[in-house]
Order: sequence, then C-alpha cells, then structure tokens
Amino acid sequence: MDAGIHAPPRLGNAVERLRKRHRLQRIADDVSGAIVVVGIWLTVFLLLLPLVITFSMSFDARDYLGAFPPPSLSLRWYAKFFSDSYLLEGLKTSLQIATLTALASTSLGLAAAVALERLPSRYAQPLISLFLSPLIVPGVVIGFGLLIFYARTGVDSTFLRLLGGHVLITFPYAIRTVLAALGGIRPSLVEVAQSLGASPTRAFWTVTFPLARTGVAAGAIFAFVFSLDDVAVSIFLSDPHRYTLPVALVSMLHANFDLTIAAAAVLIIGASIGLMCMLDWLAGLDRVIGSGYYKP
Amino acid sequence: MATPVLEVRHVGKRYGDTPAVVDISFDVQSGQILALLGPSGCGKTTTLRMIAGFVEPDEGTIAIGGRNMRGVRPHERSVGLVFQDYALFPHLTVAQNVAYGLRQRGDSRDETARRVREMLSLVRLAGFDDRRPAGLSGGQQQRVALARAMAITPDVMLLDEPLSALDAKLRQQLRFELKQILQAAHCTTLIVTHDQEEAMSLADEIIVMDQGRVLQQGCAAAIYHSPRTRTVAEFIGRTNWFEGKLGQGLAPGFREFVTAEGRFVVRSDGSVNGESGQFCVRPERLRMLPAEALPSEELNTVSGTLMGAEYLGSEIHHAVALDSGRTLICVEQNRDQSLPTPGTRITVGFRPADCILTS
Repeated sequence: MDAGIHAPPRLGNAVERLRKRHRLQRIADDVSGAIVVVGIWLTVFLLLLPLVITFSMSFDARDYLGAFPPPSLSLRWYAKFFSDSYLLEGLKTSLQIATLTALASTSLGLAAAVALERLPSRYAQPLISLFLSPLIVPGVVIGFGLLIFYARTGVDSTFLRLLGGHVLITFPYAIRTVLAALGGIRPSLVEVAQSLGASPTRAFWTVTFPLARTGVAAGAIFAFVFSLDDVAVSIFLSDPHRYTLPVALVSMLHANFDLTIAAAAVLIIGASIGLMCMLDWLAGLDRVIGSGYYKP
Repeated sequence: MATPVLEVRHVGKRYGDTPAVVDISFDVQSGQILALLGPSGCGKTTTLRMIAGFVEPDEGTIAIGGRNMRGVRPHERSVGLVFQDYALFPHLTVAQNVAYGLRQRGDSRDETARRVREMLSLVRLAGFDDRRPAGLSGGQQQRVALARAMAITPDVMLLDEPLSALDAKLRQQLRFELKQILQAAHCTTLIVTHDQEEAMSLADEIIVMDQGRVLQQGCAAAIYHSPRTRTVAEFIGRTNWFEGKLGQGLAPGFREFVTAEGRFVVRSDGSVNGESGQFCVRPERLRMLPAEALPSEELNTVSGTLMGAEYLGSEIHHAVALDSGRTLICVEQNRDQSLPTPGTRITVGFRPADCILTS
C-alpha cells in the first residue's frame, strides 16, 4: 500500500524523531570537525613557532638576548659561528661521522635486507623487529649502554665510539628503506636473469642492485641526516677533544649562552631540509617510507 | 626415435603434507610444443619451476638434452623462460634486455649486436632497440621477453601463461604469431596454461593436469573428442551430461545406455565398463529438431521445451528444458535463422558417435 505524502500520525512521530536525531548528529559532527581543525593548527603553530623564533634570533643584531622581535638584523652570529674553532671542530667531526655512518649503515642495511628477503617470513619477521628495535629504545639508554659497553670492551677511540653509536641508531632507517626497495622488485626478474645464465651474484649486481639503487641512496641520506642531528647518544660518547656539533652546541648552552647557537641550529636545520628535498627529488619521500618501486 | 630434448620421469614434489606434483612423466621431442593444461594449483607451475631449476624435485629425474638436471643450478641449465608478467628488466632498453643472456655467456660485442638484431626482427620489433620496456604495449613486451629467451638458443623454452596478461582480442592475434615464431625458430617448447584455447591452439600435444597428476595426454582433437574422465571433459570445452547405466553391446563399437530420460546408443571403445556411468555430448553436436522427429539407429532423441536463447553474434545458445526437469545447452551457428519462441516443444537429436562415455 502506498503511504502517500501524509503519513499516519504514529509514523509521523517516528519520522520527526529521526529528523531530530539527524540534526543532533550533524551538530556533533560539525563540532568535532572544528575541534580537529583547531587541533591541527595548534600543532602546526607549536611545531613551527620555536623554529620561527630561532630563525629570527639568529639574525638578531643585539649583543644580549633581547625581547622578540629583534629591532635590527645582521649576520654577525653566522660570522661568529664560522670563526669559532670550538664549533667548527664539532662541525668537522659531525660531517665525518655522518658520512661514514651513512656508508656503513647502508652497506650493512643492504646486506641484511638481501638476507632477510631470502629467508622465509617466519624467520625474517622476528629478525626485522630485532633490527628495527633501536627505534624504540630511548637515545639516552643507548648512549649510556654503549658507554659501559665500550669501557668494558676497551674501545678507546672517541671517533670509533661515536661512529658505532651512530651506525646503531641509523641502521633501522637504512634497513627499512632498502627492504622497501627490494620488496618492490619482482622475484621473476631475478629468476629470468638466472635462466639467462647469470649466477645469483651476477643477477644481484646486474638486476637487483640497479633497481634498488634509489632506495639504497635514500637510506644513506636518511642515515646522514639522523647522524647529523643526534644529541642524545653522542653526548655520552663525546669527550672534550672529540665531539659532534650538536654536543658542542649543548655544552655552549651551559657555558656562555649567545646567539651563535641559533645560527648553528638554523644551519643544521637548513642542511637537513636540503637533504630531505634531495631525497624527495631522488626517490619520492612517500615511496621511500611507503611501498616500494617497480610494483606492477 | 631420437632422444627427447626434455624428459620428465616419475617426478614428485610435496610442500609439507601437501603434494604439489605426484609421479608425473612426459617427454618433449625436438621442435615439439607441449602444453601443461590445468586449473590453478594443479601443479603445472611447480613442474615448470622444477624444470627451470628453481625447485628441486623430491623424487624422479628431469633430463634436458639427455643430461640429468639433479643438482644443476638454474643459471647452468639451458632453458629460456617467459613469465606471465614478462619480467623485462625495467632499467635496461629493449636491446639490452635481449642482449642480457648473450652478455652473461660472454659473446663478443659484434656477435651480440648481430644476434639482437636477428631476434628483434624475428619478433617484428626491429627499430625498438632503444625503447624502455615501460613504453611498450603488452603484446610488444611479450615479444621482447620471447626474443630475450630465444636469443641464447636454449634447449627448451618454458612459457608460463604466456598470453593471459593480455586482453581477449589481442590474445587471439598473438596466439597465432607466437606459434609462428616458435615454429620458425624450431623451438622445443613447454607451455604452462590454464586457458584451454591457448593450449589447443599453440600446442602439438596437451597434458591435462589436476591435483598434481596427469589426467590425460594427447593432441587437442583427441582430448576434445575422447576425454577419458569427466574432469577432463569438463575442463576442455562445454558439456551436456547424461547419467545412467550401461546396457548391452550393439554393433561393434556401440553400446546401449539407459537413463531416466530414455535409452540411447553411445559410442564405446570398451575402455569404460561397470554398472552406472555417464556420457556427455558437446553442445555444438546437439541438433534442434521438430517435436515429431523420431529416433533411429543413427540418431538419439530426447524431447523438451525451449526455455530461451542467448544471441552471441557468431553463435546462438539455446537452453532446452528436458521433461525430467534438467536443462541442456545447445549451440547453433548463426546463419540468420529465425529464433524459435520460448515454450515451443522440440526434439533434441544427437548422433551415437558424438556421445562421449567417460569414467
């Protein structure tokens, strides 16, 4: 039977109730949507504000730490940074460590990822979790643990101590990007290469490696950036003669606070952003972090 | 007869408790094209991977060119592989792809270039040398994969579902081309496929597999005309089944068959015996006759009612409801005949020779 436009009274009440519920739901949706938007802007503001202040302070012309905003601008803190032998020594060590870390981490990551790819997943999964575990251990704990470990094992060179620590904390990033790159290479490519007479080793260097190259490069850049930025682990492993730039900045913060720190911070941030842009241009950040390449 | 290029003898493989391949044996002669046909999971791909050397058989032997392949690694075998996804190297050009195997073998630069040119012209892709695989159509990629595998003149070509990644129209066209190329180069070939048309059109001989076993081996016509089991009959082509009991022998090669729908005369070579059984008739062998048509020694008949017709262009498929309630499918060539109205009483006729008795 067709109910027509005029519904019976009982049904009319039900329709009215339903409409009221829809109205309330709509208000609730609007309110929660607004809260999310406010939350996002608040987060962006809180994340960016320190950067903006640091950035403007690094160009502050005043001798002392004055109120924001600075009345006049200058490059004096940058000039001071590049003439401060203490900081430059730290920068040199940081760049050396970061370069070697990037090389070591990616080589180890590549070797481990290739092995993991060949293992059945029930063995590979626990191993991957193990290799990624430095991600969830706080840097302070790693740094302190390494300090004791090095003391016991007699590793005396501060440079080697720093290098070991940095490889440990950057290794998860390297292995993850390489695994993603390898995972994107269809197994049939390697099998075809073998059927065409390439030994497994030849097939690796002529097919697997060229296809994973962008992923490997991405892993290296990741490792470089994380090594350059690390404070927590390095602070335990540095000594007064060998220290990284971030460690030098922290100790300067305690001793004589001036705005050279802001200038140095802006330089490090600039270098990191530059490298990340390079990574994005090279491989696409979403692809490095997300799925692999060459998936059909 | 000369030694077969590929010999597979009593080969078996199991994964854990699941048998993937159970005691299969077959030969591929020089220049022959053989197809392993079966549904997915029937063991045909495992068989191919064992021949290529990626999987070691648990039992039995595989010999290529008379040489036992046990313990011989994939790169030490002389097989040409063409995968379903073609597996072209995306970082290399078409010419570099084709040259890959030649370079592994250590051929000279001139020799390699000459062979690449020869192969590309064989697959009609001359001039595509510097293209990247990503810039080629599916059919072109397939031909590059074929050229790359054939370039090293392998003892055996192994093709895994070579055409199934292509759309239906292109597939039909490439099927013909593929066969010509393989025959022109006198390639000994094993094709693995689940597509019966692919197998029938490409292969000289077909092996039907199911659940890791060989069900039947023969040329396309033999398998279509005389499938030994119901599984084979249903896998290759369409079928209308009649179930009942085998009756007495009639003229040599023919027997009586009794079903709930009537008595029929069926072809019998004596290989199928026993009380209850079944036979099938291919839909295109059923004839639609007027309701008053009578059976004879040369014609079985069964009466029913037309349900409706599917007009498919070159063919018309009629559904006929038998008086027992079952439905038969009857295929007619489209000769511009008028379609009978649904509900018409008709008689379906079929020759005893078209009745396929199976176990």
